[in-house]
Amino acid sequence: MLVDRYAYSNRWRAASPEAKATFAAGGFIAAFGAGRPSAALTVAVVMALVTIGGARVPLTVWLRVAVAPLGFLLVGMLSLVFSVDAVGDGALSLRWLPDGWEPVFRLGTRSIAALSALLFLALTTPLLDIVALLRRLRVPATLLDLMVLCYRTLFVLTDAAQAMRTAQAARLGYATARGTFNSLGLLLANLTVQVWERSRAMQRAAQSRNGDGAWRFLEHDGAMPHRELALALSGAVLLVAYAFGNP
Amino acid sequence: MHAAAALLEFANVAYRYPGGNSGLAGCSLAIEAGTRNALIGANGAGKTTLFQHANGLLRPNAGIVRYRGQLIGYGREGLRQLRSEVGLLFQNPDQQLFSASVREDVAFGPLNLGLDAATVRRRVDEALHAVGMDDFSDRPVHSLSFGQKKRVCIAGVLAMQPRLLVLDEPMAGLDHAMRGDLLRVLDELHARGVTLLLATHDIDFAYAWADRIHVLAAGVCVASCASTELPRHAELLTGCGLRVPAVIRLCGALARNGLAFGNGAEPRSVDALVGLIDQEKES
Repeated sequence: MLVDRYAYSNRWRAASPEAKATFAAGGFIAAFGAGRPSAALTVAVVMALVTIGGARVPLTVWLRVAVAPLGFLLVGMLSLVFSVDAVGDGALSLRWLPDGWEPVFRLGTRSIAALSALLFLALTTPLLDIVALLRRLRVPATLLDLMVLCYRTLFVLTDAAQAMRTAQAARLGYATARGTFNSLGLLLANLTVQVWERSRAMQRAAQSRNGDGAWRFLEHDGAMPHRELALALSGAVLLVAYAFGNP
Repeated sequence: MHAAAALLEFANVAYRYPGGNSGLAGCSLAIEAGTRNALIGANGAGKTTLFQHANGLLRPNAGIVRYRGQLIGYGREGLRQLRSEVGLLFQNPDQQLFSASVREDVAFGPLNLGLDAATVRRRVDEALHAVGMDDFSDRPVHSLSFGQKKRVCIAGVLAMQPRLLVLDEPMAGLDHAMRGDLLRVLDELHARGVTLLLATHDIDFAYAWADRIHVLAAGVCVASCASTELPRHAELLTGCGLRVPAVIRLCGALARNGLAFGNGAEPRSVDALVGLIDQEKES
């Protein structure tokens, strides 16, 4: 889990999540506000530079994390440029939208800017910090419990899946294409059963420590980091002002 | 056995899993307050099933479970009371740790007890300190090693300050050094008056460590004795497919050859026997 690893090891790990979230929020608003593609790209680059230069997340890591969402974005953008029409007797025609490029660029660059802002938060702030922040912001507890549980289960199941895959590979489960499909099917089936059993085991574990369904948390103690917040806020305001100044 | 002194008592407890597998078949045993108890038995003998009854996770189909002389109440309040005094450590740490943060997981139990934040914070710190995990309190659970996860699990139970701690094969998967660490934690708890009950496959360890040994076979407790009496139950152990502790066999062999050591008190570990032999040579 690349994102998770850097969230815990970057230079701004200890900085207050409030400050980091404020700056990221500034990036988001700027991404929506930036009209011109060039302005949106600037916002994207600024957020990426702060992540790479400020929090010292290596460029290669940033690119590796960004490549998947950028791929989705590319497919989404292409589908906006073409139009599929039904012509007459059931035949389809693929049509190039002549005025398609302008809005597509606008949308694409904005999306990249928003992605860059999100990556800033994700790569600098551990999810548990984000959840703690959301809790202080009074986000409904059920949602947060779900987030924490999913986060924890993600790692438990990745471990289980990896162990199963290794065991299958050790017995030549992935030696042929046919075998690969077969093994993957078995793995998925097995994982489904495991998810079911895990959930029951977790229920047991919670009950044994007097869990009754409600998940209680310790209140955060510690002073508000005013300096960090002021810095983040001014950065955010500058970004937003720039974006809205270039409509 | 003094029934009055028993902290936890099973009387003819029978339990059959919904799938039809038999868990316990008329199991009776008593855990006395302040003692160290080892539960031994082959795989499938019903150790885990018995433990889940101790904590009220399972309810017997027949027979009764008493805690401090009182029948366990399976209502909300009864279970709350029982589970705040009987801590259960599961065998697999990934099953027990469901929060993603170490501190949050350890705080889960104490918060469920309804304690105030300051007390919870203090208990969490103490529990993490007791297992030597102070430096890991803000780490995510998934970044820990198996042994570290195990320790966090123990801290999570300790933070509830149980009177009886039930540990399901706590040594499984731990290396020699980590076993030593865990034993120190257990000794400290015992010194503080916590009653301990642990399941193990390591008969040598059980014999050396426990005050009382309970042997489980096919869902029935076939023997409950003071460890010092174990040499006289050697045949029973073999009958259940269990091994006789190495030191008992060694002492037996030595005695048969006219080499008895010690004066009546039999050594309960190979180390103790070696000590006796060296002593004999010096004198």
